Order: sequence, then structure tokens, then C-alpha cells
Amino acid sequence: MSTTRPRRGFAAGIILAAIALAAVGLTACGSSTSSSSSPSASTAAGPIAVTDSAGNTVTLQQPATRIVSLAPANTEIAFAVGAGSKMVAGTTYDDYPAAAKSLPKAGDFSNPSVEKIASFNPDLVLITGGVQAPLRAKLVKLGMNVYVIDPTTYAGVMTDIANVGKLAGTSTQAQKVVASMKQAQADVQAKVGSLATKSTFIEIYSKPLMTAGTGTFISDMVGMAGGTNLGDSAGAGFPNFSSEVLLKDDPAVYIADSGSMSKPGDLSTRPGFSSLTAVKDGHVYVIEDSLIARPGPRLALGLEQLAKMIHPEAYTTP
Amino acid sequence: MTRLGRTSVWPGIALAAALLLVCLVLSLVLGPAPLSLSQLWHFVTSGPVPGNLANAIFWQIRMPRVLLACLVGAELAVAGVILQDLFLNPLTDPYVTGVSSGAALGATIGIVLHWSGLPWTTMLALVGGLATLGIVWMAARRRGRIDIFVLLLAGVTISYLASAMVTVLMIQGNQDMRAIVYWLMGSFSGRGWAEVEIALVAVPFMIVPLFFTREMDIMLQGEKRALELGVEVERTKRLLLVTAGVLTAIAVSVCGIIGFVGLVVPHIVRLVVGPSHRSLLPVSLLAGAALLGIADLLSRTVIAPNEIPVGVVTTFVGAPLFVYLLRRGRRA
Repeated sequence: MSTTRPRRGFAAGIILAAIALAAVGLTACGSSTSSSSSPSASTAAGPIAVTDSAGNTVTLQQPATRIVSLAPANTEIAFAVGAGSKMVAGTTYDDYPAAAKSLPKAGDFSNPSVEKIASFNPDLVLITGGVQAPLRAKLVKLGMNVYVIDPTTYAGVMTDIANVGKLAGTSTQAQKVVASMKQAQADVQAKVGSLATKSTFIEIYSKPLMTAGTGTFISDMVGMAGGTNLGDSAGAGFPNFSSEVLLKDDPAVYIADSGSMSKPGDLSTRPGFSSLTAVKDGHVYVIEDSLIARPGPRLALGLEQLAKMIHPEAYTTP
Repeated sequence: MTRLGRTSVWPGIALAAALLLVCLVLSLVLGPAPLSLSQLWHFVTSGPVPGNLANAIFWQIRMPRVLLACLVGAELAVAGVILQDLFLNPLTDPYVTGVSSGAALGATIGIVLHWSGLPWTTMLALVGGLATLGIVWMAARRRGRIDIFVLLLAGVTISYLASAMVTVLMIQGNQDMRAIVYWLMGSFSGRGWAEVEIALVAVPFMIVPLFFTREMDIMLQGEKRALELGVEVERTKRLLLVTAGVLTAIAVSVCGIIGFVGLVVPHIVRLVVGPSHRSLLPVSLLAGAALLGIADLLSRTVIAPNEIPVGVVTTFVGAPLFVYLLRRGRRA
């Protein structure tokens, strides 16, 4: 590689960008094992102990009263389990529910400041994996209780929701959320469970073409919705995907994440895409990003939408 | 080995052309859906057939991509030869003029704007690259002549400025960060005939320098000596600079910034055929095309359906080859 200065400037820019890029993928990405924990009936009086997505045990002497969230998904979970009033800070990207927008901000998700977080004096910090993984040690060192929400399956999301409910002392409400997610799963299973699976491609990003591979809750949900996730063949996480392979494997259904910068109308203008069966037959859909890429309670809605997109025939009233 | 003599240039050219031909056939045949040679012949002779998937893979995805990689490789290699000679500096690559950074800024603006209808990213990259060439040119022009030293400094400065602006846009357009980063890394993924058409515009600019090989040979001995030997130094310099600038701008606008090819291909070719431009230019053109063609083939097949950034492959393929030739060249 050239050692001339302009290239070095670019290299620096690219490295900077790559760091922030990792953050963008975070909402959805996860590689750790999500282990469920069901401590025998932790009463409100005794200490509460749960295991987070990263396998750490988190113990609180009493339910949390000052919660800081460092990801939009975490904020959503906190509000959903009825701990919204205990939230003292969120991130600049929080947009759901509406009340989350007016919360004080602890940072911008890819670049959280330890000082800023500490200034809120939280008794529970909800962080995520990926770029935020190194943050955990720093916060724990300062004596903070940190719970990592980084699930890789739909069931893992439910476990995290139940655990946050326990930590916040709002288990009853959390169990209701989990029950409704389970109900959505059962409803979808009833509709599409007996149908032949359809080859489905999920477009996470269009430039370059990127999909959701194995070990992601998106891939998990495609399977639950009666699809075979084509992206699984490209490996784990969020791999790039060759358009040649896409044409060769020719998925029956093409679903673009709304954050992928593409519109259904754009697809047929991409080289070769007009020959895709999904494009010719009109099985191209756009799904709202926060419904499939944000590990929170609204994944239930995303799951139902996926099922309707993959198996519309199961949802048409005869 | 022909060194500096007036021996025939054709063996070198024939060898490089054969290499390119092999690379073209391999690139068209190999891929996630490999073809037999008879299938290749069938697809080539039948032409594009709408609605047929295998045909669409060949004509809409693989063919334009292979052609584009080869065209860009040739453009960068020729630009590299010209600029290394003009700057009399072996570390020069086509990007020192600032043209690539200007193109990157244009592309970034194109990505952030989200305009639809036309390939705005490519077009704005081209505009950014050419505008940078113009700015650097004006900065370096003094009393009717181009000061190469000032041109280099102006190019570096503009590069920094453009990179800083790209970074600002990247931070502002958080959602577009991924697209910008991948553009900067350089790739032929998702490119089609529209990009090939733009890259084809560069063909005349690759041919023009072939008519100035004698002047380029003489100018290697310095501007003063060239003047004494009757070369119209300023005119030649201007022509070559514009040629290299336009080649770089076009190459970068269609595929982003791909390193190593423009730097190393001229060196490799010099080690093999010697510094005479009658061989150096045409062989670099063909070898650049072959190297980037092979690099892109590896980029899209090794970990398919995922892809390795092509710039990584050019470095992995080119670096060992370069070191080997450097060592062999020293012994010879």
C-alpha cells in the first residue's frame, strides 16, 4: 500500500468509520449465548439475581429505581415492562415509545461516555454487546450494576425482557409482555406451521448488499414465520451477499429492511434483479427496521408481518 | 529480457495480452454458478435473453463486472506509469494528485443526498475528481508552466481537505456510514453496464499516451535535459497530467478507491520489460487489467456468497509478486 499522506488520511477516516459502523450493526447483532435464568421466586425483599445475554450474573439488593439505557431497544424494553418511570436517561436515538424521546440523554449509542452515565447515578445500566462490550468492565469498576441485552434468538429477547422486569421489580408486567410475544409466536405457528417453507432473502443493507446470517434473531424469526433464510448460507452475523448467488438461489420472497436505503421499485433497476422470481411475482416487501432489527417487545409485530409477507395465502380470508 | 534497447516490444505485449485473455475467460467462467466453456460460448453467442436467470447472471452481473474490473485496472496502471515518471518518484500512485479524494467527496455527497433516477454517486464522484484536478492544476500553474512540486503539495493538501469533509459528512449522515465506508474501500459489487459505459469513456485517454512514449523516455532524464533534446516539455507534461487525472477520476468514480494496482503494476512491469515506455505503457495497461480482473475474481469467489474487499485481494496478490520480482531483479 502506498505510504503517501492522502491515503493515510483516508485510512484514518475509514478506521473511524469502521468503529462507528460496528455500532450501527449493533441493534441487531449478537454473538453471545443467551442463557435463561429462573431463580426460584425472587421475592421483593431478598436480592434479585439474573443472568444477562453475555452470561454475567447481575445481582441487585432491591429493585432498580434509577435506570440508564444505552440502546433504543433497551429503552423500549424498560418502558414495556412498566419501568418507564424509573428511567433516568436514554440515548439520542430513542424514538419509541414517545415518552422516551423526552428523557435526558446519556450518549449517542455508538459513543457513550462513562462520565455522563455516572452523572445520572444509576442503580442499573442496560447496555448492549458489540461496540458496547468493553464498556461493561468500565462501568462495573465504578460499582454500577450492568445488564447486557444482546440476544440472538426471539426466545432470548423474551428472556431478557423477563429479566429486566425482575431487576426493575415489575415482573408482573414483564410476564404479560412475554406472554403476548409467546401468543404472537403461537398464532404465527398456527397459520404457517404446516405450510411448506419458502426461500426468503432479507436485505439489511443495499450498498453493498448485506443480509442477516446465522446466529441472529432475524434469521430465527424468518424460520418461525415459515421461511428458509437464504442469508444463513453466508455465515454468521450480518455478511455481505453476492448478487450472483442471489440470482442463482432465486428466493421466492424478498424482504428489505426499511433501513437498507432501498425501495421495492428500486429493486428491478439493479443489475439482473428484474429476472428474480420474487420481483417478477411481486413478492418484494419492505419491513419497518425497528420491528425486526430491534430486540424488543415489538418483534412480535415484526414476526407477524414476516409471516404475512412470506405466506400471504395463509392470511387471506376465504 | 529487453532492456532499453530498440528490440521488439511485441513479445512482452503478446504475453500480457495472453495473460489478460486467460484472466477474462476464467473470470467469466468461474463464480457461484460456474459455467463450462461450451456454456460460455453459448451465452456469448446467444446474447442477453430477458427473463432467463442463468443468462441474467452472465450478462447483467458477471460480464459487466469483469469488464469493469479490467477497465479500471488498465486505467489505474496507465495513470500510475505516467505519474511515477512525471513526479520521478517510485512511491507515487494515481491518488497523490488529490483526484481520488475529490471523487470520494463527490461520491459521499451523492450517497448522503439520496437522489434517485440517475447514478448520482458515480456522477458526482466524477465531478469531484475532475474539479480537484482543475483546482490542483490552477494552483500549480506559474508563468505558463506547471510546477510539479507545487502540484504534488496542492494535491496532498486538497486530499486532506476532502478527507476531512468526507469524515464530517460521515458523522452527520450516520445512517449512510456503511455505504460511504464501503465506497471508500472500493468494490465492483453491484456494478453494472451503466458503470462500464462510464469506464469506457477512459479508453481514448489510455491510448493517447502511447503516442508520447519517446517524449516520456527522454523526460525521465529530467525536464532540463528533455528541453535540450527538443522535447516540448510543458505541452507533454500538461497532456500527460490531464490524461492521468481523467483516468484516475473515471476509475475511482465507478468503483471507489482501490489501492495497490496503480502503484505496483508499473513497478512489476518495469522489472519485467524494462523502463522503455514503448513496452512499459501497453504492457502495464494489459497487466493492470489482468491483475484487477483476477483480484475481483478472487474477491467474489473465495468466501462466496460473502465477498472480500477487492483492495485487500490486490494487495495479497500483488505484494508477494512484487517482493519476488524485486529480489529477482536485484540479482539479475
